[in-house]
Amino acid sequence: MAIPWRHCWRWTTGATSTSVLETICGFNGRSATFAASSFRGTGAVAGSGKEGLSSRPVHTSSIGNYILTSRHKSRLLYPTPKPCCCKRIHSDAKLKDPFTLAQKDLNHLYDDIKKELFVSKSELKSLCDYYFDGKGKAFRPMIVVLMARACNIHSNRDGDLLPGQRSIAMISEMIHTASLVHDDVIDGSDKRRGKTTINEVWGERKAILAGDFILSAASMALARIGNNTVVSVLSQVIEDLVRGEFMQLGSKENESERFKHYLEKTFKKTASLIANSCKAVSILVNSDPEVHEIAFQYGRNVGIAFQLVDDVLDFTACASQLGKPSATDLKLGLATGPVLFACQQFPELHAMIMRRFSTSGDVDRAWQYVLESDGVDQTNYLAQSYCQEAIRQISLLRPSPERDALIRLTEMVLTRDK
Amino acid sequence: DNPMTVIRFRLSCIGLLNRGQRNISIFSNATPSNLNKVVSDAEKIVGYPTSFMSLRCLLSDELSNVAMHVRKLVGTKHPLLSTARGFIYDSRNNLQMRGLVVLLMSKAAGPSQHTASDLLPQDMVSGIYPSQRNLAEITELIHTAFLVHRGIVNLKEWTNSDGPLKDMQFGNKMSVLSGDFLLANACTGLAQLNNTKVVELISSAIGDLVQGIYHEIPNSLEDNSLTDEINMVTWEEQTFLSHGALLAKSCQAAMELAKHDKDAQGLAYKYGKHLSLGHKLNSDLQLFVKSSSADPETFSFNSAPVVFHRQIVGQERWCHQLQQAKTIGRQMDYTKLRSTIKLEKGVTSTIDLCRYHGNKALESIQCFPSSEARSALENIARAVTKF
Repeated sequence: MAIPWRHCWRWTTGATSTSVLETICGFNGRSATFAASSFRGTGAVAGSGKEGLSSRPVHTSSIGNYILTSRHKSRLLYPTPKPCCCKRIHSDAKLKDPFTLAQKDLNHLYDDIKKELFVSKSELKSLCDYYFDGKGKAFRPMIVVLMARACNIHSNRDGDLLPGQRSIAMISEMIHTASLVHDDVIDGSDKRRGKTTINEVWGERKAILAGDFILSAASMALARIGNNTVVSVLSQVIEDLVRGEFMQLGSKENESERFKHYLEKTFKKTASLIANSCKAVSILVNSDPEVHEIAFQYGRNVGIAFQLVDDVLDFTACASQLGKPSATDLKLGLATGPVLFACQQFPELHAMIMRRFSTSGDVDRAWQYVLESDGVDQTNYLAQSYCQEAIRQISLLRPSPERDALIRLTEMVLTRDK
Repeated sequence: DNPMTVIRFRLSCIGLLNRGQRNISIFSNATPSNLNKVVSDAEKIVGYPTSFMSLRCLLSDELSNVAMHVRKLVGTKHPLLSTARGFIYDSRNNLQMRGLVVLLMSKAAGPSQHTASDLLPQDMVSGIYPSQRNLAEITELIHTAFLVHRGIVNLKEWTNSDGPLKDMQFGNKMSVLSGDFLLANACTGLAQLNNTKVVELISSAIGDLVQGIYHEIPNSLEDNSLTDEINMVTWEEQTFLSHGALLAKSCQAAMELAKHDKDAQGLAYKYGKHLSLGHKLNSDLQLFVKSSSADPETFSFNSAPVVFHRQIVGQERWCHQLQQAKTIGRQMDYTKLRSTIKLEKGVTSTIDLCRYHGNKALESIQCFPSSEARSALENIARAVTKF
């Protein structure tokens, strides 16, 4: 489902921030094409009675408010005055494919990561190299390099990556992989990306050590960039990852608390890495905190959307496509977006959520409820809202092929099937 | 009761207890008690008992959560339980000795010759900069994290005698999470030191730790395999990684934080390295120098006295001795094996090596100006080589 991007935002100064919904509806009453086809009414959100909305009520008040209050209120900004370029229509053809654009920077990424994993014992080396075989999606490094280029161009430089920025792309992938290795031990998984997991092949003890080693190598590479702020920003990710994992240990009683908890956990476990990596590359090229915030907010919103779609795919995709079996979240006792939404229609899910689907038959029944409810649709819709916000943020940067690719990327996040 | 009387009474009880402990340490030959005394004296020099370090971390929500869950492990055989217990009270292992050494080293090196906003003399407490204190705490966090991660069990090796599999899985989960939590806190703590050289140095120490510990994991289910090729050179290299790198690099980092020159950094590194090696050798020797106890204790064939022994007698004689030490039921009689080893030169070679490292540590620290802190570090080095 393509979301054609038909508008170029007019640059004005002193414009006040707009709500996410106004953004969807379009500036000054113009409605964007995608709004009509995919938008659902959120009558419960205050002050949003705009035309073009369907009047079907959807219980997204608490969630909607949560998005609105947590997004950054930014002024439209521009480092130097620029002529207005509105009403120019970008055709889809002109939008560069993110993968292609990022290709030259990502070419030897995995090889370079392997060089950072400098270890004498050959078995440990093969464990550390195991997931850097080039078969991963390299989604995070792609976002990082595109963001870096977009920021570089925005800062009146040519697009090329600074060495530190490329390091950050590598570091983000290393941190991500280290956390995956540990997650597999925690979850007792035996498959990842179509391969047997490290813990399944070599045992839990060695798997944990491999994860620790990758993390230490990432930390060394980070230090070598030589920028204290960047070190702080990315160290925060490491802490968020662990805290996010801890958040999964407990369950919340209260329904609205539960959703907030879910979104916060999603930020910590998935979005924080992307958000802070984007922020880090922006710091290396630009000292303006507004630019850092744009980069951060893009990453945050895309990251959350990404995870929401992931959670949907856990219900809808077949095992073969994902490379790992689905309904995994339910089997792990985790209540994700689709389940939390479904709960509103099937209150029977409450008890199941509280006991983490531990009673025999819970997983299957819960799955049924979710597929019968509109939980999947609602989660998808929520992911779309986050993408809109990501687009809104990134559009504040000076136009560039990379910026457009980042916009295109949000669409890819929403439409991926694995 | 008069409150003052009560207080005086309680203080005198504590005093009695302490004196009682010291009496015990005089009569026993065990080095650890001697080391305990040296450590507790040294703690006064750095301003507070170092066992309070990382308290902030331990009292965090996440770890309190873990503590709650770990209670479910009581009665199981998961190693996390003994690690957790050992962390709270353990008279044998010196609690937080690494952190203490880092603090003492910081103090012994004296104030910085450079001026910087984070190196102000008025911020020094007991002669130690705040960043150095934080570093000491970070060192302990990393050490503890790996104690916890070491305790993870391979589920494929689980047998019915280990208890329910669920308990092992659960214990593993808690171990991974708490270890990761400690490491994450170490990382953010490192970032706050605002010194990328130190971040790089300590991160490399973490890498060293991993490599060292990796070697400790037996490759086959049969532990103490005969085919392991090991000699003392390899032993030292591996032991440095698993037991020495962290302290050596932390000591060096403490110098870097106060902007002391390369020479000071080198000396601090040397002290940390040799002290750690000496300490490990001492610990390996305990089973061989203590008067024999009632319980037959097993020992690792990778402990220093055994490795020396194997190197001295050669592979063939070693295999023969192993055969001789097996009972009719093909079980290893460790007491008999221990006696065999004590007959040869393995134990004395280890004692010599231990003294060598102790002396090297002394050599390094004696290059620093004379001070209370330096004396404490000398005492620690000497205590580690006493038998």
